[in-house]
Amino acid sequence: MSKAASLPYVVTPQIPNARLADALGAVAAQFGATLGQTKSDVNLDVPADRLRDLVRTLKERSAFQFDYLRNMAGVDFGEEGMAIKYQLYSFRHGHTLQITVPLPPHNHPHASVPSLVEFYGAADWHEREAAEMFGIHFEGHPNLKNLLLEEDLHIHPLLKAHPLQKAEIKQGIEDGPAGFNF
Amino acid sequence: MTVWPDQLAPTEAEFDTVDMTINIGPQHPATHGVFRMVLTVDGELVVDCEPYIGYLHRGLEKLTETADYRQAMGWWDRTDYLAGMCCEFAYCDTVERLAGFEVPDRAQYIRVIMAELSRINSHFMFLGAFGADVGSFGTSFIYGWRERERIYDLFEEVAGDRMFPTYIKVGGVTMDLPENFESRCRWLIASIKQGIEDLDGLLTGNEIFVERCRGLSPMSTEEAIGLGITGPVLRATGIPWDLRKAEPYGIYSQLNFDIPTGRNGDVFDRYFVRLSEMYQSVRIIEQCLAEMPKSGLVLNPDLPKTLRITDAEVYVRHEGTKGEYGVFGMAKGGTNAYRMKLRSPSFCNLSALRRMVVGSYVADAVIILGSLDIVLGEVDK
Repeated sequence: MSKAASLPYVVTPQIPNARLADALGAVAAQFGATLGQTKSDVNLDVPADRLRDLVRTLKERSAFQFDYLRNMAGVDFGEEGMAIKYQLYSFRHGHTLQITVPLPPHNHPHASVPSLVEFYGAADWHEREAAEMFGIHFEGHPNLKNLLLEEDLHIHPLLKAHPLQKAEIKQGIEDGPAGFNF
Repeated sequence: MTVWPDQLAPTEAEFDTVDMTINIGPQHPATHGVFRMVLTVDGELVVDCEPYIGYLHRGLEKLTETADYRQAMGWWDRTDYLAGMCCEFAYCDTVERLAGFEVPDRAQYIRVIMAELSRINSHFMFLGAFGADVGSFGTSFIYGWRERERIYDLFEEVAGDRMFPTYIKVGGVTMDLPENFESRCRWLIASIKQGIEDLDGLLTGNEIFVERCRGLSPMSTEEAIGLGITGPVLRATGIPWDLRKAEPYGIYSQLNFDIPTGRNGDVFDRYFVRLSEMYQSVRIIEQCLAEMPKSGLVLNPDLPKTLRITDAEVYVRHEGTKGEYGVFGMAKGGTNAYRMKLRSPSFCNLSALRRMVVGSYVADAVIILGSLDIVLGEVDK
């Protein structure tokens, strides 16, 4: 049943992270990124304006070929700003990389990131989710409307400032979108 | 057929069709939960599909931030509610890796047995529901239910609950197995094998079923990877990528099993990969029962009563029943998780629905959706 032999993909156990970190050193310098390490993966901190170029390089260069966006998570640090964590995976080399994009706090005019939809189809719903949950704008996303929340509900529940309780939805108000009434 | 005189013959314009919008769901048996899709159809042909999700959104990630690590666990087996143990396994693994806790050997084996029983359980649900989607009416459903009921009975005996056992715990499992577990589990395995064979005969042996599924919505490996598809749907395209082998966790690296793959990535292959996978899960359980330490601790005794984890972040990925079940965890001191993000396989597989459904017939759209095997608890979080 299996036709693994004819496939270009090599499904191997993970390449040690140390070797990936070595290879990424030059790329990090080129894009003003800093290398680090989480408990599971190599981490690359990169400013939002260099993200698209970095991802293009990582996807196209044969030494990396990160062809799969496995996960995307927004994180809110309150006054210190926000961050987006991308996890990329290479099916050809079997290694994983985390990219961290630091962002200014919510409501800051520069709280936006370039969209990765042109590289990964999977980014579509991930970005819509992060947009509604954190109020992050994804430049170049074709359809950035609410996904999990009510379509006209403009709240960002995963911000730390958003309360869990004492919240009540007020709907059908003439003079504005549905919101929270405390 | 009536042959009209020339002046009455139908013109080209009369055959023009108008696009029509059909709403399916959110309460419709074919959507397997509260999922809604709006199809634009030209005659019988689907020209556009807009999925709407969120009807079951319970704010899992926000809630997790408000409770401590152990309290929050109860919400996580409500994500993929057909395989609660797999979700608990992934969540607990995340917390353990954030904090750096070891899990006793016996508990490792128990976890794998429970996760694989859950996988079989979830795939029985798929086979039953998918058979019903294709048109076997209720028969396949009842066949699937017979074995599911027995697996749930075993879960109840082990953990005290059937669907949401909250049995796997940070640092091990809640309690040791009951005395007669091994013999009952062996009896159950024989029954499961019979159940798989019955469904195999009922569905794979049915020419109508095979003809409906074969060649429907084929997909290449490259495309599937780009769309973020994982699990049986990805393996149906021919790539043997299973996180239990590709990035082993728990004790999976010590176990022997194969990864079934398909050839064309079509609906039939997705079905057949799941069916073949169940036999492999049975193999895994048999090995675990044979190799498991017969006694010993099942919970790490060094666990503090209140868990406080200093700054750390981790991305744990498990092979859930639907694909890559990933948890991004972040700790910043304190008793609660600072951020827990669920990368749910159903969510990502479902985001590719539009690509799969456009160009097919309305009746096939339901089958394609069924072949993705989504669980809305996991999609909506």
